Amino acid sequence: MNASPIAAGSTVAKRRTPPIIGVLAVQGDFAEHLRMLETLGAEGREVRLPADLDGVDGLILPGGESTAMRKLLDRWDLVKPIKALAKRGAPILGTCAGAILLATKIADGDEPVLSLLDVEVRRNAFGRQLESFETSLVMEGLGNDGRSRTIQAVFIRAPEIVKVGPSARAVATLEDGRIVAARQGRILGIAFHPEITGETGVHRWLVTEALAAAL
Amino acid sequence: MNASPIAAGSTVAKRRTPPIIGVLAVQGDFATPADAALSMWLGADGVFVGSGIFKAENPAKTAAAIVQATTHWKNAAILAEVSAGLGEAMKGIEMRTIPESERLSNRGW
Repeated sequence: MNASPIAAGSTVAKRRTPPIIGVLAVQGDFAEHLRMLETLGAEGREVRLPADLDGVDGLILPGGESTAMRKLLDRWDLVKPIKALAKRGAPILGTCAGAILLATKIADGDEPVLSLLDVEVRRNAFGRQLESFETSLVMEGLGNDGRSRTIQAVFIRAPEIVKVGPSARAVATLEDGRIVAARQGRILGIAFHPEITGETGVHRWLVTEALAAAL
Repeated sequence: MNASPIAAGSTVAKRRTPPIIGVLAVQGDFATPADAALSMWLGADGVFVGSGIFKAENPAKTAAAIVQATTHWKNAAILAEVSAGLGEAMKGIEMRTIPESERLSNRGW
């Protein structure tokens, strides 16, 4: 936990096999996450069926359309095995729609999907496609020794974390104070896309946590 | 326009950086889950289907099957399962039977 990227790298080197990170691939921008994992030396695996989760050390829930993802998760019985993975201590990163899947509460009446992160999210909180934007923001717990780190973030029809419950902690906010990332143990939900800016910090965090959880 | 699915597919596959949200729109004759799976094999990031759904005998069932086929394009067992019992797919229209003025290449100019 909280190891530097270099420490993470040498941990990867010491293990006989790289960590296997599953990427939910029922819908959304899973390909970009898989490419990012490849550049970090981790083994990415597309997850479409429960059996694909066997032996993964961590999981990414990518951005996309959360209602479509919810339907496909239900259709292929993926909710229970993902919850079981979290219970075993494997890290899970949810970006944009993925963060909506993680939340314990969704504003405006939708039932929660995975309920693994104690936050309330509001879908499409920053407006429509045309209101998409890129910004840099400070995120807690990504740098060396768990320090904060400035990262590039792209918001595309992004959700907002409107409330953080007692079990979770806000780890990134915009200048106006809106919460865009929250963490609960090894579960991290972020409203933006880190996988399309060349930003590697968030994925490094996941790989490091996956190695720590697997040891 | 009027490119074959295979030609369109290899154009997608040749790009060094695939589109973040790519759509391989095949004009006409895109009517079955197998068409969706074939497009994915050819390198598409997603598929966009219009009349193939609306002109099917069971539009809702066909739409759901095409979604599943796009997600599970590599899984032959699932493709077979979702392709069964869909009823009649959209019928293609022979080019020569479409009047010149109704062809997409002439419409709206």
